[in-house]
Parts: sequence; structure tokens; C-alpha cells
Amino acid sequence: MRQFNLPDLGEGLEEAEIVAWHVNQGDHVVADQPLVSVETDKAVVELPSPWSGRIARLFGAKGDLVKVGAPLAEFAEGAGQDTGTVVGEIERAEAPAEPKAAPDLAQPRALQVLPAIRALARKLEVDLNLVQATGAGGMVTRADVERAAKSLTDAGPAEPLKGMRRAMAQRMASAHAEVVRTTVTDEADIGDWPAAEDITIRLVGAIAAASRAEPSLNVWYNAQAGERRLIGRIDIGIAIDTDGGLIVPVLRNVGERDARDLRAGLDRMLADAKARAIPPEELRGATITLSNFGMIGGRFASLVVVPPQVAIVGAGRADLRAMVHRGEVAVRRILPLSLTFDHRVVTGGEAARFLVALKSALERA
Amino acid sequence: MAETLSGDEQFPVVARFEIRRRAYLAPDGAGLRRLPSFASDTELLVSFYRAMVLARAFDLKAVSLQRTGRLGTYAVGLGQEAVGVGIGSAMRQEDVLLPSYRDNAALLWRGVKMEEILLYWGGDERGNHSSGPAHDFPYCIPVGSQAPHAAGVAYAFKFRKQPRVAVCLFGDGATSKGDLWEAMNFAGVQKLPLVFVANNNQWAISVPLRLQTAAETLAQKAIAAGFAGEQVDGNDVIAVRDAAAEAIAAARNGQGPRFIEAMTYRLGDHTTADDAGRYRPPEEVQGRWKEEPIARLRAYLVSQRAWGKAQEEQLVRECQEQVDAAAERYLAIGPRAPETMFDHLYAELPKAYASQRDALKGGSHA
Amino acid sequence: MPESTLVEAVNLALARAMQDDPNVIVLGEDVGVNGGVFRATVSLQQRFGPERVIDMPLSELLISGVCVGMAAQGLKPVGEIQFMGFMYPCIDQLVNHASRLRTRTQGRLSCPMVLRMPHGAGIRAPEHHSESTEAMLAHIPGLRVVMPSSPERAYGLLLAAIRDPDPVVFLEPTRLYRAVKGRVEDDGEALPLDVAFVLREGRDLTLISWGAMVKETLAAADELAADGIDAEVIDLATLKPYDEETVLASVSKTGRCVIVHEAARTGGFGAEIAALMAERALLSLLAPVARVTGYDTIIPLPRLEQSYMPSVDRIAAAARKVYRFG
Repeated sequence: MRQFNLPDLGEGLEEAEIVAWHVNQGDHVVADQPLVSVETDKAVVELPSPWSGRIARLFGAKGDLVKVGAPLAEFAEGAGQDTGTVVGEIERAEAPAEPKAAPDLAQPRALQVLPAIRALARKLEVDLNLVQATGAGGMVTRADVERAAKSLTDAGPAEPLKGMRRAMAQRMASAHAEVVRTTVTDEADIGDWPAAEDITIRLVGAIAAASRAEPSLNVWYNAQAGERRLIGRIDIGIAIDTDGGLIVPVLRNVGERDARDLRAGLDRMLADAKARAIPPEELRGATITLSNFGMIGGRFASLVVVPPQVAIVGAGRADLRAMVHRGEVAVRRILPLSLTFDHRVVTGGEAARFLVALKSALERA
Repeated sequence: MAETLSGDEQFPVVARFEIRRRAYLAPDGAGLRRLPSFASDTELLVSFYRAMVLARAFDLKAVSLQRTGRLGTYAVGLGQEAVGVGIGSAMRQEDVLLPSYRDNAALLWRGVKMEEILLYWGGDERGNHSSGPAHDFPYCIPVGSQAPHAAGVAYAFKFRKQPRVAVCLFGDGATSKGDLWEAMNFAGVQKLPLVFVANNNQWAISVPLRLQTAAETLAQKAIAAGFAGEQVDGNDVIAVRDAAAEAIAAARNGQGPRFIEAMTYRLGDHTTADDAGRYRPPEEVQGRWKEEPIARLRAYLVSQRAWGKAQEEQLVRECQEQVDAAAERYLAIGPRAPETMFDHLYAELPKAYASQRDALKGGSHA
Repeated sequence: MPESTLVEAVNLALARAMQDDPNVIVLGEDVGVNGGVFRATVSLQQRFGPERVIDMPLSELLISGVCVGMAAQGLKPVGEIQFMGFMYPCIDQLVNHASRLRTRTQGRLSCPMVLRMPHGAGIRAPEHHSESTEAMLAHIPGLRVVMPSSPERAYGLLLAAIRDPDPVVFLEPTRLYRAVKGRVEDDGEALPLDVAFVLREGRDLTLISWGAMVKETLAAADELAADGIDAEVIDLATLKPYDEETVLASVSKTGRCVIVHEAARTGGFGAEIAALMAERALLSLLAPVARVTGYDTIIPLPRLEQSYMPSVDRIAAAARKVYRFG
């Protein structure tokens, strides 16, 4: 920093009063440019700048007394900071902005509906998610909303799923998401059965026989680990339809129990189910499931395989049918069989062999 | 029978021009020739001197306010005081001034108040609703675009047969713009009562005159538009006043437009945000300080015993007081309410925008 | 009542304005002796003299700038730019000065000028003579932008523009200069600025347009009527500031809106109206707002011009699509 001090003005004068500054702090001045007017006892003197440069600082204001030799102005060293503009003020960044990860774009709304129709739905208390859209491109139209409103008033009040129904809804949804379902069907000729044979117990026995013949369906599959476990014991889940909904208690170790024992076990299960007294452990651990839906009605069905199981046997309603028996047309009693299996784990051949064994076991007298 | 010309005779000259330079005082204040008659009126000359000193003091104060964050970007007028005072003093009240943005000396002479100038550069439109003549144009920022306005104003005077003159002030940079040429051309065709004054301070921001034009003078551009032009020493207020008075009188008398090129030098930066040291050597500026207008007239007045140190000191003090008081008045003016930005958008605010104004009034932003 | 074409109506209005107000000055290239290249100023110089009808040097910038200076002095200049394609040098004077003179002087000075020019395509002209860049001007605060679509409205709106105390850009549809006739009473009656005209009432859908396209829009409405679709047709007339209330009232009634302009699509003035619909008519809308516009290309030379312009078919097709939506 170069400093300009009040020079000796001569005639023994020791100080002077600043009358007027001719420059401002920050100004660029040139040598000889009038810097300041000072007054001594004798006269007003205009002092020129000794150098060219930028005034960093001025000392003293109008009216101040300055002693000879005291600083008047300080000149900046080096170039001043470039304003980088001719008008206004340009802000300067401190540090570069941190790059932010690009945000995931939000999933587009599935619902395609005009604002006016949305407002109408709100007014009619229609849940747009329940409305079947008939407009072009899947758009919900005014007519769709009005129709939904009408059918809702015709329908009963909304009933939230609870208890067994809720559990079933959740279980079935997750099973469906995972399993690769395939179904094979057949019919067993049970015309040679003794009268009043216990269908359910015969089915249970047949499943045990089929599992011995073809063990690949009595298996637990861990999809995450990609591992299957062949299980020696056969624990059959029996699908039971109750007032409260579907439950599937497990009949344990059917391969080593006789028919009477199995029947007693089954009766106990049914009684407990009716009384809603089945303990939770009884519902776990089935290795394969039987749905004897034919007790209500129906012939074949594509059923739901519930992991970690890989198969479910469905038995339809036993009926008399005309068919070819020992080379001749005859009326025979037929039991329809469905086998739904998880094709991730069970091959078609395994399933077919299981079904053949199942049928054989059932067709014995 | 036509004369046959010999091979070396030239083709006939069909147009010539001459540009003269008017000057009365040398840089050291000595007279170069007999002065015009008005110069014997020392009171008048002293009034020029006082006006120039005040203009410079005001300029300095404006820069000081800008450096202390109390004024926005300001266009510094250091060294050009004689042009504004000379031109302004030659105009009548009923004439119309169309300035650029570096003509505060002329504005102050015309009656604009210092605090109004500060209010404008401080960022408030009310500064343009000034105390000068109501018909004067405000600052013109897009360079040279005021020239067509000047032509329109002058046309109105001619049309109404009014003895009034439009004076268009602009810089050397403006003479490169089509706007200026187009206005000059029209003024020539229609013989408009219009005086073009080029404040040639040698620099357009960082672009020197030699890169602005190849013409030897700016004044000769008037020749191309069909009227007379002259140069004048822009740092000699007597010469500026003399040239302006003559041109304005001619225009007023229906003799058509004139062009005055006032030769001066921009001793300061282009604006307070510019650093002329980036593109001009200090020795050049130093040299030009020796030609500056205030010292020149002072020297002449002193030589005529019309001015002395006591008067100088008193004037300096007076100017300081005036500019300080004006700055105080400016700083005391509060900001406008935001919704006033709609006030003069149209004569009557259209309905379509009333809701926007109301939103601003309520403090919300629609 | 005599029949006039649109350009004759312009001439009538100019003559009327000049007769009623001695401050009205007409200026432009070829406006004096020649009466204007489209004869919009025919016989004005004979009647009012060369001081009031000025043949200007070839400079659009000058014409618009001189208007500013004259207007600041209290004259009422009506500048003519020969074609919209040549108006771009005027943008500096319109945006930097005319539009803001009143604001920047806080009312001390004002700018009651009119700048007229032919607008739009369809006359099989050479390059640069078919411009429709009205959206650029409608963006500028402090300006007015007016576009008539019939001789009656040309007469009444031009009178209003000349009498208005603020700057007006008056865009005259070149294609309609002589193609439409109307009954124009030279009674000096101005039509209101800032107001849209409902040319046809309807229940089913709102068609909005301005300038020459109003002709095709009305023809499309007739076609739609044959199909049982009852269209309302609005001529915006003043683009800046435009009549939001009329437009909103119509769309609240019909729920369906089609905007028609020959200017290019992106950033065209239709986008502003569509935005207004989204802001203030969303719950009335029964279908998306459609725009039938010129393409986002340089307007082609005459051989392809008709492919560029929105046709009656294009307008009607867009209207049907909107009508059948949902």
C-alpha cells in the first residue's frame, strides 16, 4: 500500500483543514488529478494525486484538521477486483454446487379421470379405484361414475374383511404372486368301492400311497434359497369350509396311521373347527393339501398351492356317469380328481405319476 | 460539340465538404481569438463556472453514495461538464432536450433537482417525473434510440409551426447506430428544427473512437444527411455555448437541422461498475486532465479578475452543502408500495391486471 | 349502408379520425402519393396534405421511433409498417420506449401511438410477407395488441385504437383485406377495446380465434352444425389485454374449447388461453383444450402455404374429437 501524506505546504504551516475531497474511496485516479482541497491560514490549496492507482482509503472528512505528514490517502497495490460487469452487481458463487442424485420419477397415476369427473366421484362418494373404466384409453367417464354410484346404492354396505376371511385374502394373494400353477386332472372309477365308504379317508390314504410312489410332491420349497426339501412324513392339510371361512388344519403323519385313527382325528378336527377352537399349531406344517370340495359340488378345479407346499389335491363330486368299463358301455361311479402343482419345483412327469398312483389307490376296492 | 477531355484530367467534383472546429480558450485558459460577445458578460461566465463545479460535485457525491451502497450503478460524467452546461444554457425552456444517460450537467441546468437524479439512479421511477421542463425526455439507455424520438418531437414543432427546437444529446458510440442515421436522414429531408449534439468523449465503454468509425470527424456524418456539421472544443464552455446558440437559432428559424460534435474526454469510468484502467493507460488520462473544462474556465476568469480564491473556497463549500443536502433529501425518500408498479402501466389499468395488483396489495403473490 | 372491404374500412376509419382530430398524423412508406401498397391510406394525402400524411424514408425503426416522439408531444401518430415481416426493427422502439414511456416517467409523458401493419399468410406472397408473430407483442407489458376480423370491426377498433391514450399495435389480416365485405357506417363510432366478440352462440363447444382464421372458424362451426354440434365462436379481437371473462363464461357453459390461430404452435397466443383454462376453468372442462395452429416451422412459400394453414377440415376435426372425448 502506498500512502500519500499531507505534504509540507511551506511557510511553517503545521496543519490544514480538509475543504473538499475530489475523489472517492474506490476511485481510479491518475497522477496530477485533483485529489483534495485543503485550507491553511493563508489559502485554499488543491492537492493533485502523486500517482495513478486506485484509492483504497481516504483519511479524514470535510472539516477535519490534518497535520503535515499525516496520511491523506492510501493507494491499493495491484489490480482491484474486477466487478465483471458494467451495470448492477453480479453475485459470485462460493463453492460449486454439490451434484444431487437425479430423483426417481414418480410412478404415473393409474387412474385416468378428468378433474370434473373426479369432483363428481367425490360428491357421490364413489371410490374411483372401484369404478370400471369404459372410456378410451382406460379413462373413467361420467357414466362409469354414475353407474358405480348406482350399484353401490343397490349393493349392501361395505364390509371390511376380518379374521379368517382376511387371512385367506392375504395368503391367497401372496401364494398367487409366487407360484407357477399347473393343473392336471383325471377321474377315478370308484364303482368297486364297498357301500358307505369314507371318501375323505380313502383320499387321505390314496395321497399317502401316491406320495410313496412319487415323493416329489410331498415337498417344501424355499424359493428365496432355491432349495427343496423332500419330506418323509406326510402331513396333509385338510381344507374345511366353516361359517367363518376356509381353514386348513393338518392331519399329521397319515402314512403311519390306520383308517380308524385317521377318521377319529378328522372328526376331532371338524368338531374343533366348528367350535372355533383349533389351536394355531394345528394349522401349520402341512406338506400337501387336500380339498374335498366335491362334498359341496363341482368336478375339476384349478386350486391354490400355498407355499412352502408344492401341490394340492382336489376331489370333486362323485357322480354316476356313462363310460366304457372293461370294453363295454356301463354306468359307473366316478370321482373327479384335480392335482395343482408348483411347476417351479415339480415336473409334469412327477405330477402325472403322482396322479396315476393316486387314481390307482382310489380305484382299488 | 462536346469537348474531349485529355486522358489525365479528373472527373468533375460533384460534392465537397468542410468541417471546421470552433474553439476560443486554450487548455490553460488563454484566449485563442476574439471571444463571442456574450463572453463579455462575466456574470454569465461565472454562472457557467458555478454550474460546472456543482455538476462535478454532484457527480462525486453520486459515486460516493454508490460506493457506500446507497445508490445503484451510476454513469460518471467527470470531464464533460462544459458540454452539458454549454448546450443547456443555449436552450429555451420550451425547447425539448432528449438526453443520453451521461448528461446530468444539462439536466441540472434545465431545472432537474439533484435528488430526482439520485432517485432515478437509486432505482425509483419517480426520479423521471422531474422538476425540469415537463416535455423533456428522460434518460435514454438503449444507445441512440432517442434520435428517432427527437425527430418526432421536432416534426411536431414544425407541424404546429411552433418556434421550438429539439436537442438530441448522445455519445460517440451512438453514431454507429442506425437509429441515429435514420433520424438524421429524416431530419434532413424534412428540414426539422433539430440539433444533434455528439458528446464525443473518445470512448464507448472500452471501445476507442478509432474502432468506432473510420470517419475523420463525427460531424461530417451530417453532410451525408444533407445538413451542416461542425466540431467544437467540448472542454471550452464558451465555444460549446457559442456553437449551440448558433445551431439552435438556425433551427428555430426554419433553416433545418445542425450537427455539433463536442470534442471532450471521459475522465472517469464508464459507470461505477467499470474499471477503465483495464483498457486505458493512465498516462493518456493524465494528459487529458490538463485539458479539462473547469480548470480552463477558472484560469480564464482569474485572468479577467472575475474570480479569486475566496470565491473559489466559498463556491466549493456551497456546492458541498447543496449536494449533501440533496443526498439527505434523496435518502429520506421511502420506497413506493409494491402495487404502485401498476400505476402508470396504462392510462387506466385493464381489468385483466387488476387482480394481479390486488394480490400484490394484499401482500400475497398470486 | 355502403359495403366496404376490410381495407376500405381501415381507410374510412383513418379518414374519419383525421377529420375529427387535427392531431392525427399518418406516416409510413408509400402511404402518401401511392395511398399505401394495399391502398389503406388512399386519398388521405390529397385530403389532408403531405404534412399530415408523410411519405417516410425506408426505415421501420424510424417510423416507430418518430411515432414515439410525436406522441410524447401530444400528436396522435398512426404509423404504417408495410408488412409484419418488416416490423422487427420496431421491437426496440415498441418494447424499450412506447410500452414503457408512461410508466418510466410516472405519467409525465405518454405514448398515444398506433402502429398498423398487415398480418398473416394466405396471399401467396414471397418470403417474409406472411408473418403472424402476434404472440411476441402480446407478451409486452404496457402495449395493446388488436386484430380485427371483419370490416365493421376494423373500422370500429381502429377508431378506438387511435383514440386510446396508450400505444396500440393494430394487426390487419392481409388475406381478408378484400376477401370479406361488410356494411360499415362511417359514423365515427368506436368499438370497445379489451373486449371479445361472440360471433355465434352455441351450447356444445367454444371455438376461439382472431384475425383471418375467424373466417375458417365460422365455416367450421357451420359444418359442425350440420352434424348436430352447436359451436360458440368467439373473436378475441384484442389480444392484449384480452377478455378473460367472456372466454371463461363460454367455456364454463360448453366445457369444451378449441383455439384456432395460424401462428406457430409453441408459445403461440393459444397457449396463454389454454393456461387460463387450466387455471380458472378446470372443473368445467369435459375434454382437453385443443389448439389448431400453424406448425412449428418457418411458414412455407406459396406452394406449400395451404398445407401449413389451419383449414376448415382441421378445425372441424379437432372440434369433433373434443366433442366426442370421454
